[in-house]
Amino acid sequence: MHDIYNFVSGPLVWVSFVLFIGGCIYRLISMAALAKKKDPVVYDYMNLRYALRSIFHWIIPFRSENMKRHPVFTIVTFAFHICLILVPLFLFAHIILIKESWNISWWFLSDSTADVMTLIVVGSCIYFLVRRIVQPEVKFLTSPSDYLILAIVAAPFITGFWTYHQFAGHKVMGIIHILSGEIMLVAIPFTRLSHMIFFAFTRGYMGSEFGAIRHVKDW
Amino acid sequence: MKKKIWTLCSVFVAAVAVIVVTAYSQENVKSVQDSAFKTKMRPGAVFLHDEHNKKAEIDDCGTCHHVYKDGFKVEDETSEDRECSECHKIDGDPVPLVTKYHLRCKGCHEEKKAGPIMCSECHVR
Amino acid sequence: MAEPAVNTTKQITDEGLVKGASKLTPEKIEQVINSVIKAETGARLKTYVDICVHCGLCSEACHFYLSHDNDPKFSPAGKVKQTIWEILNKKGKVDAEFIKRASEIASTECNLCRRCAMYCPFGIDIAYLLITMRRICHKLGVTPQYIQDTAHSHSATMNQMWVKDDEWIDCLMWQEDEARGEIPNIRIPIEKEGAEIYYSVIGPEPKFRAQLIYQAAVIMHAAGVDWTMPATPGWDNSDMCMFTGDFEMMARLKKVHYESASRLKVKKIVMGECGHAFRSVYDVGNRALGWKMPPIPMVHAIEFYYELIKDGKIKIAKKYQKPVTFHDPCNTVRGRGLHEMGRFVTNATCEKLIEMHPNREHNYCCSAGGGVINCGPPYKMTRVDGNRIKAEQLFAAKAKGAKTIIAPCHNCHGGLEDIVHHYGLDMDIKFLGDIIYETMEKPE
Ligand code: HEM
Ligand code: HEM
Ligand code: SF4
Ligand code: SF4
Ligand code: SF4
Repeated sequence: MHDIYNFVSGPLVWVSFVLFIGGCIYRLISMAALAKKKDPVVYDYMNLRYALRSIFHWIIPFRSENMKRHPVFTIVTFAFHICLILVPLFLFAHIILIKESWNISWWFLSDSTADVMTLIVVGSCIYFLVRRIVQPEVKFLTSPSDYLILAIVAAPFITGFWTYHQFAGHKVMGIIHILSGEIMLVAIPFTRLSHMIFFAFTRGYMGSEFGAIRHVKDW
Repeated sequence: MKKKIWTLCSVFVAAVAVIVVTAYSQENVKSVQDSAFKTKMRPGAVFLHDEHNKKAEIDDCGTCHHVYKDGFKVEDETSEDRECSECHKIDGDPVPLVTKYHLRCKGCHEEKKAGPIMCSECHVR
Repeated sequence: MAEPAVNTTKQITDEGLVKGASKLTPEKIEQVINSVIKAETGARLKTYVDICVHCGLCSEACHFYLSHDNDPKFSPAGKVKQTIWEILNKKGKVDAEFIKRASEIASTECNLCRRCAMYCPFGIDIAYLLITMRRICHKLGVTPQYIQDTAHSHSATMNQMWVKDDEWIDCLMWQEDEARGEIPNIRIPIEKEGAEIYYSVIGPEPKFRAQLIYQAAVIMHAAGVDWTMPATPGWDNSDMCMFTGDFEMMARLKKVHYESASRLKVKKIVMGECGHAFRSVYDVGNRALGWKMPPIPMVHAIEFYYELIKDGKIKIAKKYQKPVTFHDPCNTVRGRGLHEMGRFVTNATCEKLIEMHPNREHNYCCSAGGGVINCGPPYKMTRVDGNRIKAEQLFAAKAKGAKTIIAPCHNCHGGLEDIVHHYGLDMDIKFLGDIIYETMEKPE
């Protein structure tokens, strides 16, 4: 157990952080270079003011027409994304591990809050899954990779919850948790999860086109 | 009605049991507790003091109950009579003290490749 | 798939697609697809395809989807799945039958109206992805016949309707003559160097709707505008090449247009009531020529009329009596935000405006735009069936009393006329110019 634990919580953490951060930087730089070479319009038409205007409208719940049309989805997706980002960053267990290794720490969530937020993420993933199976327009667009991505995202939360509550087999689950967390981090730059890195750019570009050139809102 | 009585009885028995066990463990330490932790986020770490030390072959109390002066460990002096938090002050943020405990226990376990290292192995529910 | 059969488009035979597809070989398809993807697309296509989370939230933006009882095949991302995703997944290894269908989807089941870009949380530009598909089909020679014929006319004559150079001048002089019956000293100034305003129209105006030129002359005259029209090619601001994916030809068309205006040293181009032509001159053609914004300031007729009325240059004698509803052409709202100006002009000239919902930048397209109406009779029902939602919108406006539809766009007129007939709406359709001409104070 010591050897496996030390391996997944030591070198593999480094590997996943390097791939995650390095991968994000690589994706950004290579996309910027590709845009410079093949889509220079993106630079010419990107307009900071209108880009931010659009981004703000789309990261605040119910500011766009489409969000108003889908209230349940909007609430779920905002709750999902907020919890998804806050829990791993501010979880007490994570903070302690980071403090032990690198002697840095920051504000943390109480364990009970984090626990509820974890359930919110898992619940949202189930909602996304059901929607994907039940709603024809989503089903039509779905490929097996969409299920895989959903599983990759849900896994660290399910296994983390399992470990925290010490359900049967929690020791093995702890190891699986760390592994699944690492897989998720690495998946971000290299799968559709890269929407995290590119959201601001596609949104900002459309906002610039609509705002600066076409003088119209895009929400 | 009968059911209610039974429930009350079992709660009473359980409460007595808890009190007895806690009182007993004052004598022979069974878990690590520090009064500086005001709100408990996890159950105190399971720690059978005497058995642990026998198994780990620790004779020198100062291994854990150390005393430092000006950044140096004072040999021959120990601190069993004090809580760790008397020196490792908490000042609102529990993280440094938690880390001190963790590094003391988990750090040694890692080094010796023996003993618990995962959260749930010590903070047993 | 489990969708009911009524939702699948009927088998349509289009000569252009059949002939074009019959000449394809797998090697040619693969080579053309990959060369377009490699040489002409870049970060935008890649990002849009990489990050689309397949959430389907864009579906309800599209009138085709809504009008086909939410058939996912007609959702914006659904159409991309059947075209661009597939060719990227297969790395260009698709057959002629696939290209034929892809051309049909991209050219006749999407109006490039850009409504979906306002519904996708990432702002993924579906219209850009589908025009890229059209571009590939263009390079493969598989474009619906009618619109390709129009594109041929553009390359042979620099206008959309095979109008010869002398016929154009004839038409202007004829309309001047006609107008003099009403206003004796009116002129249609041709080739006037240094004029304030260069007025341009689309090919169909001299061909079928010369009356519109007459009306424009009366409005210009009444407002005392210093204006001109060219005697040379360039007068036609329309652009079907933009919609077939023939971008080289699109750039040539816009070049003659801007050049004829700069030869006449005008201060500003004003264009007639056309949506797609506005998109081409204001937004797309200029880019193809390397101009960030049009090299000469230019405005759509809506904005021009707005200024004339606001500045009191045109006075309204008696407002239009029948209650009207206002159809926002996508290219003037999602292309230039002219919805409030359109309403200003309408309210200034009409007694009563009854809104359709959704409206302004959220309007539903007429389903004629993006070159779909130009794909001709074979696809008439594709767009009429594909826009039941517009008919419902119009019925609702009619129930509230609207009798006339104002649509400041040529394509919208064509599209709405077919919708009005097919669904038995029995409403008139008018341009803003028609209404202004009818209601304004005319000089003696
Ligand atoms: C990269 C290495 C990671 C390590 C070493 C790690 C470690 C841990 C540890 C030790 C726990 C505490 C388990 C317990 O209380 O017994 C935990 C819990 C948790 N972790 Fe991680 N984790 C990692 C990555 C992640 C990631 C990427 C996510 C989410 C995106 C995540 C989400 C969670 C959650 C949701 C819990 C449980 C919270 C609760 O239910 O109270 N972890 N993790
Ligand atoms: C700042 C960062 C992010 C932004 C702005 C963002 C935005 C979005 C948006 C706009 C969607 C589209 C559908 C919806 O609204 O739910 C979406 C979906 C999704 N996001 Fe994110 N996201 C971010 C980060 C992440 C991260 C870090 C993950 C996971 C690692 C993630 C996982 C997902 C998943 C799984 C879906 C798809 C739900 C489905 O299957 O329908 N997102 N995100
Ligand atoms: S018709 Fe309009 S809404 Fe529908 S896919 Fe095309 S651009 Fe999007
Ligand atoms: S809304 Fe955007 S991300 Fe979602 S399926 Fe449509 S194009 Fe893709
Ligand atoms: S014809 Fe009119 S409504 Fe239709 S696409 Fe053009 S501008 Fe849009």
